[in-house]
Amino acid sequence: MAKLILLWLKCVVLWAIVEAVFEDQVGKFDWRQQYVGKVRFSHFDTHVQSSKKVLVATERNVFAALNTRTGELFWRHVDKTGSEGNIDALLQHGQDAVLVVGNGRLLRSWEINVGGLNWEVVLDSGSFQSACLVGQQDMVKHVAVLKKTAISVHYLSNGHQKWIENLPETETVDYQAVYSDGNGEVYVLGVVPHSHIAIVVYSMEDGEIIKQVNMSVEAPWLYNIQASCVVVGQGMLTCVDSAGVSFYMLDLHLQLQMTQVPLQSLALEVDPGFHPVLLSHQPNPARQPLSEFFLQLGPDHYQLLQLNNGQIAAMRDFKPALLVSFATTGEKTVAAVMSPKNKTVSKCEIERSLPSRPVFSSRAFLHIACSVNLFSAETGRRLLDTTLIVNMDPNGGKPEKLYVQAFLKKDDSVGYRAMVQTEDHTLTFIQQPGRVMWTREEALSDVVTMEMVDLPLTGTQAELEGEFGKKADGLMSMVMKRLSSQLILLQAWIGHLWKLFYDARKPRSQVKNDVTIENLSRDEFNLQKMMVMVTASGKLFGIDSKTGGILWRHYLHNVPPNAAFKLMVQRTTAHFPHPPQCTLLIKDKDTGLGTLHVFNPIFGKKSHVTPPALPQPILQSLMLPLMDQDYAKVLLLVDDQYKVSAFPSTKNVLQQLQEMAASIFFYLVDSSQGRLSGYRLRTDLSTEQIWEVIIPPEVQKIVSVKGKRPNEHVHSQGRVMGDRSVLYKYLNPNLLAVVTESTDLHQERSFIGILLIDGVTGRIIHEAIQRKARGPVHVVHSENWVVYEYWSTKSRRNEFSVIELYEGMELYNSTVFSSLDRPHAPQVLQQSYIFPSSISTMEATLTEKGITSRHLLIGLPSGGILSLPKMFLDPRRPEIVSEQSREENLIPYAPELLIRTEWFINYNQTVSRVRGIYTAPSGLESTCLVVAYGLDIYQTRVYPSKQFDVLKDDYDYMLISSVLFALFFATMISKRLAEVKLLNRAWR
Amino acid sequence: MLQRERIPLQLIFLQAALVVAWCFTDVETGPGAGVSTQPNGDRFKIEGRAIVPGIKTQDWVSTARVLVEGEEYVGFLRTDGSFAVNDVPSGSYVVEVVTPTYRFEPVRVDITTKGKMRARLVNYIKTSEVIRQPYPLQIRASGPHSYFMKRETWGWTDFLMNPMVMMMVLPLLIIVLLPKVVNTNDPEMRKEMEQSMNMLNPNPELPDVSELMTKLFSGSKGSSKAGSSSKGTRPAAKRR
Repeated sequence: MAKLILLWLKCVVLWAIVEAVFEDQVGKFDWRQQYVGKVRFSHFDTHVQSSKKVLVATERNVFAALNTRTGELFWRHVDKTGSEGNIDALLQHGQDAVLVVGNGRLLRSWEINVGGLNWEVVLDSGSFQSACLVGQQDMVKHVAVLKKTAISVHYLSNGHQKWIENLPETETVDYQAVYSDGNGEVYVLGVVPHSHIAIVVYSMEDGEIIKQVNMSVEAPWLYNIQASCVVVGQGMLTCVDSAGVSFYMLDLHLQLQMTQVPLQSLALEVDPGFHPVLLSHQPNPARQPLSEFFLQLGPDHYQLLQLNNGQIAAMRDFKPALLVSFATTGEKTVAAVMSPKNKTVSKCEIERSLPSRPVFSSRAFLHIACSVNLFSAETGRRLLDTTLIVNMDPNGGKPEKLYVQAFLKKDDSVGYRAMVQTEDHTLTFIQQPGRVMWTREEALSDVVTMEMVDLPLTGTQAELEGEFGKKADGLMSMVMKRLSSQLILLQAWIGHLWKLFYDARKPRSQVKNDVTIENLSRDEFNLQKMMVMVTASGKLFGIDSKTGGILWRHYLHNVPPNAAFKLMVQRTTAHFPHPPQCTLLIKDKDTGLGTLHVFNPIFGKKSHVTPPALPQPILQSLMLPLMDQDYAKVLLLVDDQYKVSAFPSTKNVLQQLQEMAASIFFYLVDSSQGRLSGYRLRTDLSTEQIWEVIIPPEVQKIVSVKGKRPNEHVHSQGRVMGDRSVLYKYLNPNLLAVVTESTDLHQERSFIGILLIDGVTGRIIHEAIQRKARGPVHVVHSENWVVYEYWSTKSRRNEFSVIELYEGMELYNSTVFSSLDRPHAPQVLQQSYIFPSSISTMEATLTEKGITSRHLLIGLPSGGILSLPKMFLDPRRPEIVSEQSREENLIPYAPELLIRTEWFINYNQTVSRVRGIYTAPSGLESTCLVVAYGLDIYQTRVYPSKQFDVLKDDYDYMLISSVLFALFFATMISKRLAEVKLLNRAWR
Repeated sequence: MLQRERIPLQLIFLQAALVVAWCFTDVETGPGAGVSTQPNGDRFKIEGRAIVPGIKTQDWVSTARVLVEGEEYVGFLRTDGSFAVNDVPSGSYVVEVVTPTYRFEPVRVDITTKGKMRARLVNYIKTSEVIRQPYPLQIRASGPHSYFMKRETWGWTDFLMNPMVMMMVLPLLIIVLLPKVVNTNDPEMRKEMEQSMNMLNPNPELPDVSELMTKLFSGSKGSSKAGSSSKGTRPAAKRR
């Protein structure tokens, strides 16, 4: 019975604080963008002429079908991250797409119309080498997968294995490629490095070895078949040797001897230092490949060649040509060549954009415009009217891959569309004569860090603000100023009204307020902001938070592949006429060397401020609340000699630093040695270690250190208890939450630890150990609480634990908090709960003044983002309900936290692989802006305590006005009636 | 010059501020899946079928995934709604079918080291409790997800059933109807009523609030306005 009452109480509470999306709010202030990642393989769906699909398999282990008309996703399948979900090969036949996944572990076949799985089979272990479709008599029914030691053939219809054979002499021969041209034989090509080629021919029927060639074909120069050989024409294995500057050809059917054809005999010359590459095309796996092929002689030099009766003939020379590609439609095969138009940007421009580092590739020039032309593959002749202009983004990267979708027009000529992939992971789909149909910024699938920056005020707004900033110079001028600013306001208002009126006459579809950089301005409640996103590829984006439109993009050319990024806002938009300024610290994780990129977050332009060169590896960077005379916050960089440098480092800043040095503390974490150490700044900008905590790395290692967010406000100092006394919160701004995990992963002995350390004094405030638990641990540290989530190995479930710190019933020093003067240890309360799902990431909501109650935003693997009221994670939740706890509105303790789909802030707009959730306060106290990023990006607003400061959007204006009118008329009528009555009474 | 972000400098001096900034101190992420990486351990396959009653499988399978223990193992649905998650070592796992539209209950699957399978209901509180489920799994959708709250719509019945409105309407009815029902001209009745009025008003010296109000309003704006101000107590005052 008691349980029932509890349950009922719980329900009541749940309903009371429920906060959810209403159906009519869908898409009103939220948006989602779905990405797939950098494309590794791509195929146009050609089996139906009118098909609109392009299949892409990406480096983020995603397999998806895109709509070629709009660039949107038809469907998308997100596999596991890491090597186990890695897509090794994509083969397409008809409406089936076959994928080899996880280094040859799985073979999957997808139905591309529906996006469902046809079949999935597990392959024997062994590292994957190559795969190909095998056809017989113009029918493709099998797929062959080559592993290091074995070859297997599977039916396309159901995935069943037809046969599997171990390869001979695998100790010496390195088998690398498999080839078939529809004659019932499968060729496996291997190489004994620096010695000879080995070829094994299998019969398609039963896997019997028909022929085996070893030792006889000498090829001492060859070590990688896939990189330097292709099969051309009637089974002619053609290789190119860069050292010997010649072709080597071997007829796979005869396998006698490799014939050498020097490139010079064809009047071809390879660029010095360039490894030539061959490109051939096999339109149908049941047929032989084309006898025409491309040879790349230099970075921008291609040659179309033809094999005719065993003789190679040069057909056409393409220089300059950036990319080439073959495409087949029906019986026709064309070659597309992308070449730069003569406008080029000189090298110095890029060097100027990142002056601190030399440009790595010597040929990093950008072509503003490129053109794609079609050439007939058979003749090498240029097809008329097939030019397509590609305008390259000057802030983007070089084109990297060209995919061509060819189709037959009504007059039997070949038309085409091109998909260009550039270095910065952008996909651009272009139609003739150069119309960009869509662009996908796939770099956004890997956002590393982001910030939200307030938009600037408009000119008029800035003018108004200026009135209050300037020094007063007399009464009269003040009045004049006030009048003039009021006039400006009136003018702006009339303009706004006029625009409203003008827009109202237009049909709704035409009224589209296009947001461009020029008309960006802050809105009334500061709800619209600029999202500055930094991606792993080194491309920066500026996105309008209201619409999700990309307003600027900037590709940083020489970002190391394993770079770590930290984005800091040095100057906000509040300091008109000084432009806002963001600084991005890019650090190579291996060397520790860093560079700074300083830019304007609103326009994405590189700032004129020259950042300092950083010759030493950087250990730590910190933003100080100090400002220089231009209102830029000071960034301190600590190098591996524990020397501190400041940016900007003007005299003013250095002077301020000297004055402040005694109160600037920072800490360093060395997780490999388990060392946490605190430092203090000296006046000469050297540092002094003041504390050190060693966590023995043999037993446990530090996995994360979380401080509080510097822009967080706490409104109430304490909590009012049921008996009207106040329990004061322990609000230490310098508190760090350190999470450790045991190195022993045995499920009986593993544990996680949480340490609360004061970052100034190094004093350990609290230490908690969770036994029989392991990571990954997600932590949120805010106000006076720390919430963390871990996996309990004992009960095999996810658990949340919350720690809250209180000073007690009285405050030691209520005016300021000083870490150096706090004699009493805080009271620590802790409680744990069961959570019925694993989680991907966690963050707390943040509002302007901290009055609004807090919610935890939890990214789930299912793609939902759960908004869990912090109220449920409160260590003071009582087990037995008393009068006082009810007075305090405490929810009775229940071990399990619930996941209610009504609490999903993103309803069915799931966000795959959530990696981070960014929260920012808006101008409204009730509203918190949320951006969840991972493979997708989702932006919305949340109202943790509902919208208490603005009228709700379902506010019933009709009702209130009708009631008002009714009351007004009622009073009128009753007045009249009363008058009549009075008159009557007077007469009586 | 406008300075929005003014910093309380004194505060900084006093409180020995630590700027909590932590970035490039190389802290690795957690050890990932510690248990799942046993080399050469036997790997098994979790099989089953997901059913959404009344919906064609083509319409939902492309958005569905099978998640085993979070995202540790991932499986996809075949075009007929069946699924198999390959390469799972022995252990106990929670298997979930996730789609943005339909709700499926999770199932716990236990795999012994020999590869024997068993499915049971998920119970996070009593983790050892066994309520068997069929294996291969048969997971039926229990309906679409409910993501949205219903808007409170305004209707006459809601308005009338509102307790405040009821409290206003009922006395009004009594005031209007009671004088009609009870004959006020009867002197006995009048006496009785007066008595009851006095009972209600325990302190006769204290001025009646309603009376005070009527006087106040009638004094300034004529007696007609007062009629609407306090309906409940007005007739009582009039009677006296």
